Parts: sequence; C-alpha cells; structure tokens
Amino acid sequence: MHPFSILTLAIFVAGYITARWDLVTRLYELAIFAWDNGVISRIALGFVFLSFAFLIFLVPVQHIARSEADLVCFCFHLSPPSRRLGLIEENSTLGHRPGESLLGNSLDAEALSNRGALSDIVTSDLPGVLVGWRNSDLDVVVVAVLDHVDPKSVENALKTGILLRNAPHSVARIFELCGQASMHVLGLINTGPGVVPDPSWVQATTYSSKPLLRVTCTKASTIQTILFDRPNPLRMQYISLNPIALSLSGENRTLDAGSHESEVEDEKQEQKNKRKASQLMEKIKQHSVVQRPPSSKDKALVRIVNQINWAWELEHLLQKNVSLIGPRPKRTLSVSERVVEQATTMRDTAALWVWNMIIIYVFPIIRRAFIITLLAHRLAAEVLLLVLEWRLRPTSPALKDISATAQQVEIRLLQFCYWPMQYVKLRRRKNDWDSVTTSHPDYIRFYNSLWLVANDVIIGIALGSYIIENAEWVADMINMLLGKYTITALQSSISWLMGWPAGLKLNSELALFLGDLFLWVIDYWSSCAQTLEPFLPQIIWFIGFSSFAGASMPIALFSDLLSALTLHIYSFYLASARIFHWQLTILLSLFQLFRGKKYNVLRNRVDSCDYDLDQLLVGTILFTLLFFLLPTVIVFYLNFALARMGIILLKAAQGEFNIGIIIVLLFHIAHPRKGEYTMTSATVIGMLLTPYSQFLLSSAPCSANISRWEIGSANTTCPPVYYSVL
Amino acid sequence: MLTTAPYLRIRRPSPTAAEFTVSTLPPLTMPLRLSFYAIYALRGILSSLILLFLYATWAQSPYGSFPSPNPTSSLSIATALSAILASGPGVLATRLASQTPPRFAIAVCAVALYLLTRRMYTEESLLVLRGLGIQTSSSKGNILAGRATTRFIPTAKIQDVLVNEAFLGFEVRHYLVVVVDGEPDVVVVFPKLLPRADVVERVWRGVRECLGGRSTARNGAMLGGKG
Repeated sequence: MHPFSILTLAIFVAGYITARWDLVTRLYELAIFAWDNGVISRIALGFVFLSFAFLIFLVPVQHIARSEADLVCFCFHLSPPSRRLGLIEENSTLGHRPGESLLGNSLDAEALSNRGALSDIVTSDLPGVLVGWRNSDLDVVVVAVLDHVDPKSVENALKTGILLRNAPHSVARIFELCGQASMHVLGLINTGPGVVPDPSWVQATTYSSKPLLRVTCTKASTIQTILFDRPNPLRMQYISLNPIALSLSGENRTLDAGSHESEVEDEKQEQKNKRKASQLMEKIKQHSVVQRPPSSKDKALVRIVNQINWAWELEHLLQKNVSLIGPRPKRTLSVSERVVEQATTMRDTAALWVWNMIIIYVFPIIRRAFIITLLAHRLAAEVLLLVLEWRLRPTSPALKDISATAQQVEIRLLQFCYWPMQYVKLRRRKNDWDSVTTSHPDYIRFYNSLWLVANDVIIGIALGSYIIENAEWVADMINMLLGKYTITALQSSISWLMGWPAGLKLNSELALFLGDLFLWVIDYWSSCAQTLEPFLPQIIWFIGFSSFAGASMPIALFSDLLSALTLHIYSFYLASARIFHWQLTILLSLFQLFRGKKYNVLRNRVDSCDYDLDQLLVGTILFTLLFFLLPTVIVFYLNFALARMGIILLKAAQGEFNIGIIIVLLFHIAHPRKGEYTMTSATVIGMLLTPYSQFLLSSAPCSANISRWEIGSANTTCPPVYYSVL
Repeated sequence: MLTTAPYLRIRRPSPTAAEFTVSTLPPLTMPLRLSFYAIYALRGILSSLILLFLYATWAQSPYGSFPSPNPTSSLSIATALSAILASGPGVLATRLASQTPPRFAIAVCAVALYLLTRRMYTEESLLVLRGLGIQTSSSKGNILAGRATTRFIPTAKIQDVLVNEAFLGFEVRHYLVVVVDGEPDVVVVFPKLLPRADVVERVWRGVRECLGGRSTARNGAMLGGKG
C-alpha cells in the first residue's frame, strides 16, 4: 500500500471521527473513568515491571544475537548503502587537447554528486571508485561510489555485466533510456599518493571539515561540479526540465453545440492571441543577432536528466552486486545462522502453501465478482451519463446545463469511470523500472483526484450528519427565509411601486394593472409554496443524505432547490423584461420617425424618408404615449431584475464555494506533500568557489500549477482521454 | 534605511559560469550585520506581542470563553495559555484588548503583522551555466513565504536573450528578457528591481559571453555598438 493511500485513509478516518464527535466524547469519558478507578496506575506499574525485566534479560540476549548477526551483515553490505558521489560531469568545448586550451578553448568538467551524502562526505575518507556514465570525453555523470574495490576489476565487471546481475527488469532498458551503451569507471575518490590513474579519470577528494568536494582531472583545465540529491523513484521524485503537466491531456475540447455564444467568442479571441504570439516568435527567430546551432552538450541535457533520475535505482543495484567482484572473505554459516535460515525457509514454505491455496480457490471468485460489479457499475454510469447528455433538440440545453446537481453527478460519474482505466494504466508501470518517469504525472494525478474526492466525502459526512440531525430546524429556517424574502418583501416592494415610489410620478393605471397582475401571481405561488411546506423536512433530509456522496452534492442540490423555489421571480423577470424590451424597440423606431428618418432593412442603415402628415401625427402621438409610460415599466423591470440578480449572485457564491473554496483549501492543506512529490525544473543553487565552481541541484515545487489544474479540472473535468481510451 | 540603491555584483568562479546579482542589500559589515540582527529581534518581539494581543481579544470575545480549566489535569494547552494571559504582558494585552473595538484591532494587527514580516531588501539574480542553461531568481517579499522563486531555463529552450524597453509610469525602463522557445510569454530578468540601462547592458554582455563563448560575444558587442 502506498503511503499516500494510507494518508488518505487516515484522513478519512479522522474526518469520520470529526463527523461523529460523540465517539470521541465516549472515549474521553472512558479514559476519565479508567483514571478514576486507578487503571492507569496499575498499567504504569506493569509497564515499569516489564521494562525492568526487559533490561535484565532481553537486552543482553539481544546484544549477543546482534554480534552474531553483524558478521552476516558485514558479508553482504561491505559498503554503506547511501554513498557519496552521484554525478561528475566534465564538459568540454571543441578542443580536448590540453595544448589547445591555451588558445582559449577552455576545458571544463562538471561533477554532480549526491547531497544526501554530503554529511557522509564529511565523515568518510574511505577510498573508492566512481562509476557512472561518460557522455562525452570530459562530460561524466557519477552514479555510484564503490568502496574498497580495485578500479581494474570494476572496469572488467562493468564490461562483463557482473555488476548489473539480478536486475528486477531488463537491463537493456537502462542503457536505452540513459542513452549510453555502457557504464564506465570515471575516477577515484580519496586515493592515496601511490596510485597512478588514467589521464581521463577524475580524482575527487573529500574534506572532513568542510562540505566540499575537491575534483581534479589532468585533462581538464576548469571543472564544474554539480551536486544533487538522488531523486527517489519510490517516492515519485524525479527531475524534469519542464514543469509537470498535471492538466489532463488535450485541453482543446470540441465546442458543444449548446454552449454560449460568448464562450465561442472568447475561444476565438484566445486562439487569435495565440496565433499572434506564435507569429511574433517566428519574427524573433528571424531577427536573432547570433544564430547558434545547439551544441551536443545542449542536446545531452535530456539524457543527463534521465541519468540523474536513474541514479537511485542503479546505485542500489550496483551496491547490491559489489560483493561479487574482488576477493571477498567468504565465510561458512555458523550453527545459529543455519538454524535461523532453516526456520525462515520453513515459515516461507508454509506461507507460500497457504497463499497458493488462496490463489487457486478464493481468488478467481473474488476476481469474477469484482469484475461483474465493475461492469454493472460502468453500465449504470454510462446509462446515467446518456440521460444527462440527452437533449430534446440539438440546440436545446441538456439536463446537465440546467441543473447544478446533474452537473455534479456527471463529474462524479466521469471520475468513477476514469479511475479503473487509470489504475490499470498505473499497474502497468509495476512491470518496468521505477525510474521510468513517463507515468509519474498520471500517478500523481490519480491519487490527487482520489484524495480530493475522499476529502469531499469527509466534509460531506460532517455536513450531512449535521443537516440530518437538524432537518426540522433547517427546513423551518429555509421556509422562513423564503417567505420573508421571496414573498413578503416582493409583495411590499410591488405595492410600494403601485403608489408613487420615491416621488416618481408614474402612470397610476398602468402601475395598478401591472402590480395587481404580479400580486395575484405571487398569491397563487405562495399558496403553492404552502402546500409544499410539509414536505420540506423530507427534502432537506434527502439533501442531507445525499451529502454522503461529497459535500459538493448538497450544495448543488441546495442551488437547484433555490432555483425551483424562486421560479416565480424568474418568470416575473422574464415577463417584465419582455415588456420593457418590446416598448424600447418601438420607442426607438418611432424616434426615427420623429426625426423624419427610417431604418432601411435592405442596406442595413438609416435613410431619410418623407412621411405624410397623418403618419407623422399618429407616430408622434404614439411615441409620446409610450414615452410617458416608459418610467412605470422601467421601475417594474428594475425591481425584478434586482431580485433575479440577487438570486444569481447567491447561486454564484454557492458554486464558487463548491468549486473554489473547498478544493483550493484542501489543496493548500495537502500542498506540502505535493511539493515533495512533484519535482519540476532542475534548479541550480550557486555555491561558487574558485577555481572550480560547485553547484547544488534542488527541486522547485510547482504550487501554482497544481491549484490551477485542480480548479480547471473541477470546471471541465471531462477527461477527453476517457472516450479515446475506450 | 539600511538598504542602498540597487547595484550589480558579478561572480565568475570559472569561465563557464557566472552569477549576476542585483541587490539593494549593501555588503554586510559588522555594524550593519549587528543592526540587522537587532531589527530582526525587535520584529520578532513585536510580532509575538501582537499575537498575544490577538489572543487576548479572542479570549475576551464570547467565542473564546473557555470553561474553567479542570483542576485534575494540571498540564494542558489551556492552562498554559491562561498562564501566559496572567503574566505581565498578558495582563497589559488584556487591558488593551478590552479597551479597543475588536474589529478595528484585528484589522490593524493584520496590517502590522504583514508589515513586520516583510523582507527588508530585494535581491534578484541570474545564474548562467554554459551548456546547461540559465536560472533567474527573485527574492520573495515576505519572510514567511520562503527565500526566492527560481526558474531554470535549459539552453536548448533559450531562443534569445535581449534588452527591451517599456514605459513604466512616465519613464522608459530598459529590461532584460529571455525569450523561451514554445512559450507565449517572455521571462523578465530582475522583474522587481528593474535596474538601470547600464547595468542591464553589462549583464546582457556577460550573459552572451558566458553562453556563447568569446567569439560570439565579440560579434554581438559589435552589432550592439552599431545599433
């Protein structure tokens, strides 16, 4: 089980406990009870007695056992596992000969070494051999330091492949991805004065007092070393030159037929800007002052990054096999070791037998059941998705466009459909080396979405249990608020408008007519709402229950409930807007007549026109009439528009809460872990020392990227890969 | 007060590496160092006092009224906090908190904490490694946010390094940009300090020399002189 899943599980349990707080209070009461009855003092006594016995008997026995076992340890692990140097890189410009370096083509070498072992460097002065990749003559990456071995025998072992024995996966893949045919001996560390090294070898010296590495090479005039932490592939650490692309691949979704025109407009604008930027790029390329063809060194950077990513696994493999070379004292097993060995083999055999039984008889049944549930679940999800996507006509909106709940359900269904496939994809990487980093973003993404859903569910449980316990009260509150704001307040505002509001002189007949109309509809609506009132607690209870599917579900449901219960305001707004719009267009066309002009439809412009006297007279009278009626209509329109705007704002705030706050907050809580996970660009920290420079490679977390991805995915969430992977 | 106008510092440990730092922090002498330490200590004390004041405000609000601590459990966070409140500064903070309206006090405290955690100087740097790439870094405004934001651009992705000019208010500023291949936006070097044109030019020459070797640098300088 991955530590991340364990963390998610723990947070789930913690969330459940928070939701069911009485469990904690029970435990607390139990603890108080135990304290009162002196249980704890008795336990403490027992503990003291046991530790005394442990000190007397067990510690000496264990000491004896360890001194026996140490011999074994020594045999297998002669060198400490995490050793100093990671990578030394020498780098050269055109001329390699020392003579040519006088002409100005300086040679330089870079060394990358493992910082995790910088403390090791400080303490250890053991002589060793640097093993790694040689990218060019003077451009090397150190993978491991092998202690107490002869460089010649190491070279032979590398040639014959002894050091890469017992590899869990294919060895050819290492060489393929690291871009080199073989590993080499690159140099020596902490050698005595007597050894005569090859001229191309690097000689490194550590100082016990300083965290410093002294690197020399007879062929290079200047040397550049870069120290690095070996990224641990088991913890998903890796270095990449590009910031990690966490967004689901294929951002360019095809536009829906029912999507808004403004969205299409925005999309067009964006594409236009992109095209402009790329054109500008092209122009800059043409106007560059100095065109420099990329040197082999520039191209090698990708390979070097891969080599650094592989360093951890390769180092472990080499250290495991280092005992195979050179004269090693091979000792026969002592009696106690034999006993231990036989006991472990016996235990292993028994466990293997039980496991085989399980695999033969129980496993197929479980697997079949699991597959059937998965299929059924998938089928149900597909049917539901089809229902959600269904449109009456191609232009009419689908269900998911109308209702927030439907949208939420769709997001969840898509996630559930996507997970098994993603998981299968992730399982495949178990068959390969851990250092192959292509699937790491997928992995991180998968666990991120799992983590988010788990958190959503936890908050949902807390919220839901609260709503269920107080369903009556919540229903009362909603009823009261709705009655107060959507019925009483609206009624009073309409009756205020029917008089002369704020000294505005309205047309009283029209105001009376409109006001009476709206008041009558409100009356009818309020009687409808009253018949609904007894069912409200049940509805609230249902909403509370739905929140076990995540906190975003009840929020979406509440948003839908709000739009259903304020349907009358929406219809009032539509009616008044219609009247207003109609009156305004008539006024505008009559105004053209007033000016002696006419709108020419054929040419799409305003032409002057000779009207007859009676036409002008009737038109002017109508214009005046409508103009004097306009304030009354405007006032009613404004009233309902404001009410509608308030509701829209409320829903927007809910939606914002749903998508923005929860997820971003969760991400900020979860962020430290992510930062550890996602190594982005290779950041080089300067630690400059003459005459050669030494740098430190460290990782930069990509917080902004992640949160942007999360919000983006919460909005769109439709993984475009989903259908293509099918 | 303790800072200077932005100035350039160049370190070239080897011909293939160079670091250009533009900083408002003067070279640290002993008295300067001591005064920095003193200021940091003062800031720490002030911040903790403000936090104490905020806690006192919280304790006086209706939300913060704890039930009286249980005498059986002598060691707990609640008792430690009440002990802090009972001490000398705690009593002072309590008296102050009872006299000021909480809404106003919290706003003022937030502003004060923000000001107290601001970094006193700005330091931005550009590190050039031949054959590897260049790294821009810019110190963050707040101490709590971390040291610096860095960005590494590998050589293969550097399209060009050039000096551009733009209006900033009523003046024209010259700034160094890195055009990155395949990205819609350019990367501005020294984005906060935006040093003067002569500094930018020196950095530009240095970067060209370090990135492309000597011959191309001479070429670039010649063309630059013509332009």
